[in-house]
Parts: sequence; structure tokens; C-alpha cells
Amino acid sequence: MQTTHGTERRWATILYALVLTGGGCYGGLDGKPGEGADGADGGGDGDGDGDGGDAGDDAQGDAGDGVAGDETPAPTTRVARLTHEQWENTVRDLLYLADTTGLSENFRADPQASGYSFDNNALTLEVDQALWSGYRIAAADVAELATADASILAAILPPDGGDNVARADQFIREFGRRAFRRPLDEAEVSLFMAQFNQADALYSDEAAFESGVRIVIETMLQSPDFLYRVETSEEVIGDVIPLSDYEVAQRMSYFLWNTMPDDTLLDVADASGLSTADDVATEAWRMLADPRAGELIGRFNDQLFHIEKFETVAPSPTFFPDAPANLGISAVTEFRMFMNEMTLGREGTFADVLTSTETFVNADLAAIYDVPAPAGTEFELVQLDPTQRKGILTQVGFLAANASSVDPDPIHRGVFVSKDMLCTPIAAPPDNVPPVPPPMGKSNRETVAEHTSGPSCAGCHNTLINPYGFAFENYDAVGAWRTMDREFAVDASGSVVVGSAGAVDITNALDLIENMAASPEVHACYLQHLVEYANGRPAVPEDEDLVNRLAELSVGEASVQALIVELVTSKPFLSRATEELQ
Amino acid sequence: MKMNRRMVLKGLGGFTLALPLLESFTSKTAKAASDIIPPYAIFLRQACGVACAQNTDLGSETEKFWPTTFGALTAGTVQGRALDELTDHLGSVTAVGNVRMVNFNYGDGHARGAMQGLTARGPVVEGVGGDSEADGESIDHRIGAELNEGGRDSLFLYAGQNNGWLGGACISYRGSNNRRAPLHNPVNAYALMMGIDQEVFAELAARQQSINDLVRDQMTSLMTSPKLSAADRQRLQLHFDSIQDLSSTLSCNLTADQEANLDGASAGYDSNIGDEALSALRTHMDIAVLAVACGYTRSVAMQVGSGNDGSTRYTNLDTGEVMENYHYISHRRLSHDSSGSVIPNSDLLHHYVDRHFARAFKYLLDKLSEYQVPTGENLLDCGVSVWYNDNGNGPGHSSNNVPFILAGSAGGYLRTGEYIEATGGEGNHAQLLNTIGSAVGLTDGNGGPLSDFGDPNSPKGILNELLA
Repeated sequence: MQTTHGTERRWATILYALVLTGGGCYGGLDGKPGEGADGADGGGDGDGDGDGGDAGDDAQGDAGDGVAGDETPAPTTRVARLTHEQWENTVRDLLYLADTTGLSENFRADPQASGYSFDNNALTLEVDQALWSGYRIAAADVAELATADASILAAILPPDGGDNVARADQFIREFGRRAFRRPLDEAEVSLFMAQFNQADALYSDEAAFESGVRIVIETMLQSPDFLYRVETSEEVIGDVIPLSDYEVAQRMSYFLWNTMPDDTLLDVADASGLSTADDVATEAWRMLADPRAGELIGRFNDQLFHIEKFETVAPSPTFFPDAPANLGISAVTEFRMFMNEMTLGREGTFADVLTSTETFVNADLAAIYDVPAPAGTEFELVQLDPTQRKGILTQVGFLAANASSVDPDPIHRGVFVSKDMLCTPIAAPPDNVPPVPPPMGKSNRETVAEHTSGPSCAGCHNTLINPYGFAFENYDAVGAWRTMDREFAVDASGSVVVGSAGAVDITNALDLIENMAASPEVHACYLQHLVEYANGRPAVPEDEDLVNRLAELSVGEASVQALIVELVTSKPFLSRATEELQ
Repeated sequence: MKMNRRMVLKGLGGFTLALPLLESFTSKTAKAASDIIPPYAIFLRQACGVACAQNTDLGSETEKFWPTTFGALTAGTVQGRALDELTDHLGSVTAVGNVRMVNFNYGDGHARGAMQGLTARGPVVEGVGGDSEADGESIDHRIGAELNEGGRDSLFLYAGQNNGWLGGACISYRGSNNRRAPLHNPVNAYALMMGIDQEVFAELAARQQSINDLVRDQMTSLMTSPKLSAADRQRLQLHFDSIQDLSSTLSCNLTADQEANLDGASAGYDSNIGDEALSALRTHMDIAVLAVACGYTRSVAMQVGSGNDGSTRYTNLDTGEVMENYHYISHRRLSHDSSGSVIPNSDLLHHYVDRHFARAFKYLLDKLSEYQVPTGENLLDCGVSVWYNDNGNGPGHSSNNVPFILAGSAGGYLRTGEYIEATGGEGNHAQLLNTIGSAVGLTDGNGGPLSDFGDPNSPKGILNELLA
């Protein structure tokens, strides 16, 4: 596993230097400002970076008119291993199953890639002996499953025309094309045909033809052409290496669907139908209309918003005796339904995600939002109080997941906004920082402010963390609106820097969110994450032009779907760099 | 359409296997070919330091871990200390004091300890705390890579809730910035090594050979592409090297009863409840003992809990109740609760966690001791088992006096039965890893002891005071 930690941090600093006003962030072991950490690199002048700062001028929501400019692909891997979820989805679709097999539960988990939010960093996805063993066993089980089920065989085999040799040949070509996401060459067909023909001796419990089918499936599922998204294109045209139609198809399908191309997409690739951006856009819109596009919205946003933390929400029963036991699960459902509705259901914008006053509730959440509960147990779309709620950051999931069991956690709320929504690099806290003490005669805000006022803390906390976190003090540890913090009136006001707009005074989180929704840098940050996810690697400087163009479109109210189409029709997505990865 | 794990095990070919391999050692039938168990190392990692004598902002804390004096370990010198859990094995145990890690700038004491523990290396990027990665290979991997038969990977086993600080499993490295993936569920670890029923072996082996031949050709073709980057080639080479032909000689099988219990005993592998995680750890230990006994690997690393073991809640040994999470206890304070800033008696609670680990380590030693090899030694003494910590103490996260408790002489290489003060200063931890590596059989390339493992600037050589 190799990561590009340093590169990522440089890039983030280049693009968003303007938002970094803290002169000295957390240092190293001795906590000296700026030492041993590059979180303080961006002592920016607040004038913007010149690339994305004027995004609003040209943003009319016409995503198709984006200008590629100098967008170029970065060197990237030629062999991106499937994630375990992609393996599951691909096997499901390869055999035309209704559901996944669950066999990947027995794969050893992939290690976390430091400094990267998603599970698809191609440079960290290896095959070691443990995983190879898992693949081998699963391949055998899938092959056995396929040949033992007449409905699966009927789906993957050509009709029986009486000539088993011709039928085997056709099966190898058709199944191989779908397994490898490209047509097999004649040499490969010959190899698999030879294997097919010797299979009768390899399975004592299988008829000869089914044995052939079984060995071919078992082998193909262990092949690097199945386990990796292989890109072999080499011909340089202009300043890039254009991908083949099949390589484009698999980039699209694994980004948009998290699975293999469907038969339609492969047919389009067969007909060289992915050779132009317009062709790709046509297919992309078709794929976004398919329910499988929910895989993209789900996987991307779940990981970006750390939804795994939602599930562990556990309010103190002493302080929140009415809090439901499954609050975290409800919050997960709310989050996913909201994201799906905003992005896929109604072609909403990223600003809608940030500012919508609608959400989905069940009775438990309705009580927290103080709105009428749905009649049944199903979640229903409701209108929230617009003076209290705006978008994803004022929903229960984010708020309760970034709280203690008793109090709001302004530090983690602030760190999320700064790091994940503004892409501001923040160095690790100094060693041996004691936890925040409980409020003793002070408000939660005062307690946190005092706790983080030391010289080794204040550099980051006073500018990059606390102002964003304090803005959410109107929301308690379960996400309910509050105006009082124990005996103290809540103070959620402050002065925050949101991108190139410079410092602005806010009264609470709603002001902060409005500023974020209008900020090109916030849009750029979200789209930087989307580009990272699409590429399966941390951001690199070459991404900057594409990210900034997408950000301009996003500020101009291009829908999230339109931005996704812009991304997959961009030159960096459709081609390789002429330089290889080092 | 979900398949359960038993189906997978069946799919491996282990339908009817019931060879009581471990018991077979007692009947002196296994390993008949060599009559010798080559030295091995098993590492058990604990986070967050131990409850030792120290002064914190809450006052002074008494010694609850280390023996009373250097020298021979006796029931008297460990009485009342966590190490008294090992009283049955004191003759095989070596407590190494004054082990000093390097105060590398990981930006976090937990990262510094967890990632340095088996690598003796600093971070790839300084000061990034939870985003850290170690800048070098870990000793468990080196042992496996150089000494395992058949090029098999050493085992890296993890118990407790995954993810969390440092991403969960974080102690084993293939190389700089190249963290290894652990086996989380003991069932999966067992599936890797279990032998294949001889009645079906021939058919399975022939089939896999056919598949491997074709896949190896495909990978060779892929790897010969001149366009492939070095990073891609490195990953594909790892994949290529991981392709194994099925072995008819490997017979690493639990008994039928053990196999039947495997699923249930493993159930807590992803739990944040200490008793459940420790139950899974003991199952991992069964697998580890099996693995070194049958020659599957010469090295096993076991990790419990994430980089700071921040979610595991161990049981109070007095009350039987689940305590606050270990990380908070090690800091002596609650950070996310209402009842006050200080956890009452937290040094004692930390001591209870130390005892949990001591008991788990004893379980490992018990299992290793149960099996006699034909030469008359028991399995415990054939290798060295190491229970170590990331930090020297709790709140301070010190890099000094980091506990390393060794058991077994590695076939007579190491002294045992003593509490020994390691010589040297900062970085002598690297020398300790060199010593362990040497005990297991690693060399400096010229037949001498391993001498240069770890950071290039750390002290070289081995700790002679640990040698028998």
C-alpha cells in the first residue's frame, strides 16, 4: 500500500490557502505552533486562489457547456482492484442474481488508507495470500452455485443448439466479455476452451458440459482481468492516452453503479459508442436514471459524512430519557433518504443538500424536530422550521454523531466543517491533550473555548475549528433545537471565514450554512471529494482545473446529477496521462 | 442468497476432517519428519500503557504491573502485580524493563507506540496523528517473509471493533507506508491453513493447478507490460506471489469439536465488549498455536482494539460490570460523560485491563505448554511469545519503560525466569526487536545476529543481557 499523503496535503493547501488564516496550528510533540505539521502552511491573504473564486459569473446551470480548459488526467494506476462491495455486486450481475451472495464477508478486510475518506484507494487495494485464498474459495463456491442452479445456467449459457463445442465457444466469449468487461482475444478463447475441454476430469460430481462451465467460471473469477479494472491503452493522441470504449465503460459503471457494465453499456462499447463526450453523456444519464445509481450516492456520501458514526449515537439516558434506543439507525435512514431524494429524486443541487428545509422523519425523529409524526412507521417527507433547520448539517445524524452523550461537541462539528467541507488541512492535536472537562458553572461553549485556549491549541481552534463548531450550539446532543444550555443562553454567533468571502459575522449555523452554500470553495471541496471517489485515489494537483470548473457549475446551480455527467465526460475521466504512475 | 461460513469451509474441502493435530503432538506423531519445531515468535499487543508507579495530575499511583525487583521472577516478586497472573509460567517468562522507544514525531502518542511497536520506525509524514503510517517493515512480517516455508505470509490477527483511531489494525507493515490487512474473524484465519481431506485433495489440487497455471500466465503477461508503473508492478507481484498451489502435507486442522465451536467462539471478533473481544482473541490464540505447531508460519502478530483501543470496554474484575472504554480509563478521565472529569479509581481500573491481557497471555502460554514435541521440549519453549505495549504508562503515553514481557527461550537462545533491565538509552527498543528476530532465526546476512532492524539512526545490535 502506498499513499500520496504529502501530495494530497500540498494540493489541498494550494487550492484552499485562502481560507487558512491561522498562523500556527497544532505542532508536533512539543506542541510548538507550526512545527512538524503543515496545517499552518496556508497563511493566506484571503484574496482567493484566482481559479475558482469567480465561479458565480459563468454559472447558469448549463452543465453541458462546461469548458474543459487545461484539464489533464493525472498519472494513475492501470490495475485498480475491485473493492469487496464491487466484487459482490459484480458477481451478482455476472450471474444475473437478484441479490449478492454474501461470500465477500469471508474476505479479509482491506486496511484503511490514511488521509483518504473512501474505501476505493486503488494504490492500497492489494491481493495478499489471505485475500487470494478468499478469492479462490469464493470462486469455487460461485462456480458450484452457478452450475447447480438451472435458472442461472439458463441466464448465462447460450441456447442448446445441439453442438456442445459451438455452445462452449459461445459461452466462453459471452461470459468472458462480461467477466473481463471486454471481448476476449482469440488466444484467450483458445486457452479457456482448452480448459473447458479438460474439465470433465476435474469435477467428479458434474456432467461434462457443466464441468466445463464450472471451471471457466472458477478460473475467470480468479483472473486479474476480473479482479482488477485493467487499462491497457497506450496510444498517445494529443497530450493524453484516450481510453478504449471498454475502459470507459468500466470506469463509468464502477463509479456510477459500483458494479460491472450492464449488457447495454457493453453493447454500446462494442459499437464504439463511447468515443465522444456526447456519447458518454447519453449513457451517463441513462445510468443515473437506473436504481443502481443509488450505489454512487450512497457509498460516496456515507463515507464522506462518516455515517458509521451515526450508528453509534448513544445519548445519556440520564439527560435524554426519551431518546429512542435506535436513534442512530433512524438518523442513517433519514440521511440516505434525504441524499437520494435531493440528488437523484429531484435533480437537486449541492446547495439544496446544504440548505433544504425538508427531510424524512419517523416518529422518533419527528419528536426531535418538533414536527407532527407520520401516521405509520414509514419515513415521510416533512417541512422543518426554516428558522431552525437548513440541510444536512442541521439534521440529527451529523449533530448527534458529533456530540458527547450529554453535550454538543463543537470541536468535532467544527473539524468536520473545516476539514471535510472546506478541505482545510488541520494537523493532529498535540500529544496528551486531556479530554474536554464537563461544564462546571460554565456553558458548553465557554468550557470548550477555555479548554482550547492554550498556546498549542488556539492557533487552529480559534480560526479553523471552534468558530464553525460554536455555530451549531443551538443543537443539543441529540440534534434538537435549543436556546438554553443549562442555565445559560446559547451563543452560536461568531465570525467565520468561508472561502474567499473573507470573515463574516454570523448569528448561528443557519448563517454559516448560507455562506457555505454560496462559497465556491465549499462547492470545490465537495467536488474534490467526488473527483477523488471517481478516480479511486486522493486528490492531486492535476485535478484542480476539473474541480474548479465543476465548482463553478455547482455554484451556478447545476444539479448534482449534471455535475456527475460533467465529471464522467471530462478529459481526465476519459483518458490517461501520458506519464505513468511512479 | 447468503452463504454461511460453514459452506465456505466445506467449499475448502474440509468436509470430514477431524485430525486432532494438536493432540497428535502429545502422542508424538506429528512433525515426525523433523522432530523439531523451528523457533517462532508470537506477538500480542496491548495499547495505552500499563498501571505502573507514576505521578499524574491526580496524584501518585502505586506500582501494579512490574515485579518488585530485578532478578529472578518469583511468586513473591510479582505478587499483587498484573504479572502474578503468569505465576504458573514464571520460569519461562522474561520481563524486560527499560525498553525505550524513540520519541518520533507521530503527532500522537498512540500512533507513535502502535506503529513503532513492531517496526522500530518513525512516521512517513511527521505530525499527522491519526493519519500516520509507519516508515518501515514490522518484525513479524520480516520473520514470515524470510523464514516461512513456501513463502507463506505470517499471520496478522485482530480482535475488537475495527476502524477507530489509526483505522483499527495498525501494527503490522509489509514495508514503508504499506500497512498489512489483518484477519479479523478467526474463522477466516483458520480457513487459510486448514488441511484438505485426502479423499478430495487430488481433485481439488488438480483443478487449482489448472486454474493457477492459467492465471499465472495471465499475470505474467500483465506484468511484462512496459507501461506498467513500479507501484502497479509491485502490487501485482504481491498478488502473483500470493498464488499458492494446494498442499497435501499441510495438515493444520482443529479437532472436529474445536472446528464445530469455532464460529461461536469467534463471534465477538468485531465487538467493543471486552469479554467478547477477548474470547475472540483466545480463539485467535488457538489458531496461532495451531499455526506455529504445524509449521504454517514462524510469526504471528495479534492486535486487540484500534490504535488507542478507544472503543473496547473491559470488565471490572471486582464488580463484573462493563467499565468505561479503555482509552478513557488510561487517561483517568471521562471526556464524553456528565458525571465528572475524573474516573474514580481509574488506575485500579487500568490495572484490571492489564490483568485481562495478562490472563489472555497466560491462555496462550497454557496452550503452547500443553503440547510436547518429540525432543521433550514443550511448544512454549521452542519459540518466544511477546506481550508488549504501545506506551509505558497511561496518561503520560511515555515512550520509556515500555512493557515487553517475553515467554519461551526460542529453543534456548533467550534467558528466562528473570526481570531484566535492558541496557542502552532511547531506541534500545530497536535492539530488542533485533534480539527477538535473531532468536527466531533472522541474521545480518553474514550468519550473525540480526543487527540493523528498525530506524537507521537507532542503536544497532542486540541486547546481550537477554541471551541465555
